[in-house]
Parts: sequence; C-alpha cells; structure tokens
Amino acid sequence: MIGDPLAEERLRRARAGDAFAFGELLAPVLDSGFRLAMTMLKDRNAAEDAVQEAALKSWRKLDRFRYGADLRPWFLAIVANECRTVRRSRWWQVIRTDEVEPHDHLTGLEGGWANSIDLNAALDRLPKHHLLTLTLYYHLDLPIEEVARVLGCSTGAARQRIHRALAALRPGMVLEVGR
Amino acid sequence: MTPEERELRRALDSRSEGVSPEFRARLSSALAEGRPTSNFLPALAAVAAVLLVLATVGVLLLARQARNQPPPLSASTPSASPTATPPSSQVAGVLSQPYIALPTDAQLSAPSTDVIWVLMQDEYLFRSIDQGAHWEQRPTLPLFHGGVQTLEMSFVNDQEGWMTVGGPTPATPATAACAGYRINLWHTTDAGTTWQLLPATGIALSRCKDGLSFVDSNRGFLDAWDQQSAPIIYRTLDGGETWTASSALPDPPSFKTHTNSTIQPGVVRGYGSMLLVPATGQAFSGNEFQDVYRSTDGGATWAFVTAPSAYGQIALVTASRWIQLLAPSSARETTNAGASWHQYPTDYTQAAPIAPQVVFADSMVGYATVRGSIARTLDGGLHWSWTAVKSPGT
Repeated sequence: MIGDPLAEERLRRARAGDAFAFGELLAPVLDSGFRLAMTMLKDRNAAEDAVQEAALKSWRKLDRFRYGADLRPWFLAIVANECRTVRRSRWWQVIRTDEVEPHDHLTGLEGGWANSIDLNAALDRLPKHHLLTLTLYYHLDLPIEEVARVLGCSTGAARQRIHRALAALRPGMVLEVGR
Repeated sequence: MTPEERELRRALDSRSEGVSPEFRARLSSALAEGRPTSNFLPALAAVAAVLLVLATVGVLLLARQARNQPPPLSASTPSASPTATPPSSQVAGVLSQPYIALPTDAQLSAPSTDVIWVLMQDEYLFRSIDQGAHWEQRPTLPLFHGGVQTLEMSFVNDQEGWMTVGGPTPATPATAACAGYRINLWHTTDAGTTWQLLPATGIALSRCKDGLSFVDSNRGFLDAWDQQSAPIIYRTLDGGETWTASSALPDPPSFKTHTNSTIQPGVVRGYGSMLLVPATGQAFSGNEFQDVYRSTDGGATWAFVTAPSAYGQIALVTASRWIQLLAPSSARETTNAGASWHQYPTDYTQAAPIAPQVVFADSMVGYATVRGSIARTLDGGLHWSWTAVKSPGT
C-alpha cells in the first residue's frame, strides 16, 4: 500500500463507507488472514467466523489505520486477536460433556519431536502465542519486520519469540531465523 | 532450508486451507450489509481529552511542587501489584456525534428493571431508564486507543459505573499469553459526565483480563485467565481501589486443565451473599462446554455447580433459575440451580452465528445483543422481540 495511489484511493472510499472499495482493499490480504485463522483454530467454520468478524472490525476501525502503512500486518493482528476470543464466540454447538475427554498429552510433548513424532500433535499442544509466531514466519512467510508488526514488538523481540516457540515445540531445535 | 524446517512448514501447511469462493461471497454480503460512516470526531475528541488530562496532571504536579508536598500515595507506596499506578486523575466524559451502522458491537449492563446501559461500537455510551424504549447518549471515557485495547463497562444504577481499558503491554516479553496485560479502571458517579481513574492495586500484569462486573457500589469482579492454567477472579470490596485474587477455579468433572485446554469465566452476578459465574471450557479435543461456578465467601473461592450436557450460552436469570440458549428456538432451563435441566420452549433465535451477550435485569426483564442488535424479553426469557428495542445511535 505504501506509495500505491490506487490503494490509497480505495482506502479513502472505504473510509467513506464504500463496501466494494473495502472488499478490494481486503482482497489481497484475505487469504493470509484465513490461513492464519485456519492454522490457529483448525476448524473451517470457526476460521470463517473469526475472519468475518475481523473484517467487520477492521472496516469499523479503518479511521485508525494510517495512510501509507501496510494493511497486511494490521489486518493479521486483528485476525489473531479474533482467534484468541473465538472460542467463546460460537453461538451453539451441541456436544455432550461426557465426550470431553481428559488428555494426558504432556507425555507426548516431553517425549519430544525428536523421537519422531507427530509434529501435528506437537503443534496442537503448543501454546497459541507460539503457534501464532511460527505460523506468521514459517507458514505465511512474512518477513521478520512484518512478523514484528503483527506481534507488536521489535524485530529482535520477534526473532526471540520465534526461537522460544521452536524451543517450546521441540527443546533443542535450532533453525536459522533472520530474514 | 533444513529438513526440520521443511517438516515444520509441511505440518503448518497441512493445518491450513485457502479461502473458499462461498466464504468470499458471504463476506461480501456481510460487508454490503454494514456500511460504517467516516468519523473523525472521536479521534479529535480523544486528542482533546488527552491534552485535557495532561494539562490537569501538569497543573496538579506543579501545584504540589509549589507547596513542596510529597507525591500521592498511589505513586509512592509500593503495592502488591506490579502494575505501575498512574496518577489519580479525573477527566470529563466526551459526548461525540455517534456514527453507528449495523452490524457492529454492543455491550450491555442492566442494573435494574428499568435501567439499561449500552456501549455501542466500543465508543458510544447510551442509557435508557425505560427498558430500552428511549435512549439518551451519555458522555464516555475519552481515552480510546484502538487496536488491541479493549473496553468493558459495568453499571450498578443509572449513575454509577466502571469502565476498563485494557490491553497487552508491548514491552513485556511474551513468555505466556497476555503476559503483560495492563488494565486501567475508571469510575463515574454522574452517568459519565466525569470519570475518575482508580489505582486498582493488586491486579497483576500476567493473564488476560475481562468480564468486569460490579454487583453494587463496593463489590466488583474481574476475570483473569490464560491458555495454560486455571483462571482466577479478582475481587474488590472498596469500589475498585484495591483488588485481591481468588483461588483458582477448580476443574469441572471429566476435565483437566492443560495448555490450550482451559476454562474462561464470564460475568459474575450477585444474589445477596451468593455469587454465580458461568464459564466456558474448551477441551484439548476442541470440544466446548459451559458450566457454572458459585461462591459463598464473597469470591475468595469458587465451587463447580453444574455443566449441562449441551453447549450453549447460559443466562443467569435468578439465583436458581438459569436458561441455556442452544439453537434457534431451542433452549433448556433449570429452576433448581443446575441440579436438573429440562427443555424450555423459548422463541429466541438470531441470524448471526456468533454468541449473543444475554443479561437479565431481574427475574422477568432480560436483553440479548448480537452484532449491535438488541432483543428484549419481559417474561423471563420465554418470548423475545428484536424490534421492541431499537439499537441506540442507529
């Protein structure tokens, strides 16, 4: 969006209430937002709810978005926030509580990814803020500066968070971080 | 790229999917329904209010220095809270022209049979003293920060209420979810004309915080939770000046708190000396459930009461009668504080897929809101009308 007159014109129109302009503005970042929500929530319906709420909220808050800034990290931060709260936001879902099984899933985590390993299960067990960090960097392939903007921290702190997330996923794991 | 990184990317890819054309179409429809109008007035009002606060604090500090007096206790006395206590200050509420278009957000607080407060769009505060038949816009807290800052409000009558402005502090290392979540607590006794910033000592930075509720002028509650451990509920007995944490809420039967598998409390309601709070749980499998906790010692400890077998919003109507909205025109009811549940023939329904906020002012009058629309019941939840109450400011 930086220096893009067309995007800035869409932003102006969207702020004035033009739904089509806002849709066009959102289109390039919608897929990233949805992939982030899917990775975080692992449920298509929940991800769609989260992204729809994030889209409506971001439109309402568009006055707070400054001209020239990059829309993607701003929108992804709102999606991430929605994913944090979506678990309390579904209206109804018929599930019997006796289906809610206790899990001793820490056993798998302690056993480690190195013992090879259901990485998917390890990602399930990973605290959500670590999963968010890994998704931004390794799945959406955001540059470290943009990861930092989504997380609201410095690039150094973002690198540190990626290392922490990797360590939580598998203690001792070392990957190069630093594009 | 190392084999480990490749494997990690593959695992993350396998959890993800792209946007479907159907969802794009639905989103376009949702956007076409809601057309927020450009509004710069709140931003201007916020700037003006910040200047007013800075000027007020500056004048106070200068006056203190001139009189060579020590700084106020709130700034000099170490407290149990690691939260930096801002200087006590009072600001004038801001009354700005509302620009509200549905769908949007609304928060409800219904302190008595006739009085209801609504915070629309996190920005505009309205009060009704006739069950929502007429609305009066009231001045609200001017210090909005947008982004991830969240606002919550709770009123105990037509004049007195509290509002929290909360959000993560960027400087805090992210060692846990909401590791540094700061809350500013404001208080009004004149229906929003002026707001006083309270010290709110005793509230730790750790954990996410929401669910602000006051049951009278002195007793208030604030939930604190994260994705690793059982939640606690802060309580105050002096109108929000000082807070104390409860013991952790116990796990319900057949559930064990783990990382990403925790309980989140809702809004505390008071019935005499008994306190109740509904909570939502999510098992590691992703299954959600609702349960209710009770405290008989002022909120110091909480005991599990019931977890209905179906998932749906639990609305506390009285101390012993609760209803659970399950699906369109389907609900369950308990009249013995959760000992047994039975079908309840409500006509409640809504179009939006997200959960409503449901509050009851007394045993008969209740409200539900979803995406800014407001429904009202006058018969304890049996019949609901989405047209009896017009969303204020729309």
